[in-house]
Amino acid sequence: MTRNEFMTRLRRGLSGLSPAVIAEAAADYEAHFDEALAAGRTEQDAASALGDPARLARELRAELGLKRWDASKSPSSALSAVLALLGLGALDILILLPILMSVLSALVSLFLAVIVVIVAGGGVLVAGPFIHDFQTPWLPVFGGLAMVTGGTAVGAILTLFTIGLMNALVWFGRLHYRLIKPAIEAQG
Amino acid sequence: MPEAIETQLKKGVLALCVLSLLSRGDGYAYDIASRLAAAIDMGEGTIYPLMRRLQGDGLVDTYLVESSAGPPRKYYRLTEAGRAAYAQQKTEWAAFATAVNDIVGAGE
Repeated sequence: MTRNEFMTRLRRGLSGLSPAVIAEAAADYEAHFDEALAAGRTEQDAASALGDPARLARELRAELGLKRWDASKSPSSALSAVLALLGLGALDILILLPILMSVLSALVSLFLAVIVVIVAGGGVLVAGPFIHDFQTPWLPVFGGLAMVTGGTAVGAILTLFTIGLMNALVWFGRLHYRLIKPAIEAQG
Repeated sequence: MPEAIETQLKKGVLALCVLSLLSRGDGYAYDIASRLAAAIDMGEGTIYPLMRRLQGDGLVDTYLVESSAGPPRKYYRLTEAGRAAYAQQKTEWAAFATAVNDIVGAGE
């Protein structure tokens, strides 16, 4: 592989990332080629010693994906972390996928149920007194409020659980491909 | 999958090796890459994602030094956090290596 081929494949592997990130990574490898040529090695020799550019791009992407999850817990950063780990082969898809799918579908249906309860609670609260003549007028108000707050509380617990699950996944993935966790994580 | 295990093992200790090299003196990536590649038979390219991670974790920082030939070189040096991480990982590694040696050695 020539220097140009290596750089093209690396850039292709990194496409979609921010231009600054791509430029930094590309500059690292360009400098490496410069040094290798100055030391009397051939382009082919330097490129094969560097390794597969697609694999290197995946490692860089994975690192960024995990960093995003550490920085902000959001559905999109969770997705990017999972994709990054899958791309690395750090998560064994065949073993994890069935488990993850059932846990995920359970979580999604629970979230939907919570939303339904909250909306229904709101409906009871607002419309209850008009569609049915309750013996005690505060009953629909109280009942509706209870449904809304109860639903919100369960939703919050579910969110905490989901964040915990993602953290466990990220931890597992890191352990898997690093073996020794960096000591710096002890601070977090 | 002996090959996969070997790769995982090497990856795991690579960060420790880089921290160790830098604890003895600042270095630039090409130098670190070629020394480690020769010693533990790893792709030289793996160093760069690793250096980026170490920098992102605040374990190393960089400065530029004019070089006699070509563009300035980017040198890496350990930060205070990097020194602390190195000390801890070194201890962990020593304990791990001793434990493995005890088990492997006992079988002979």
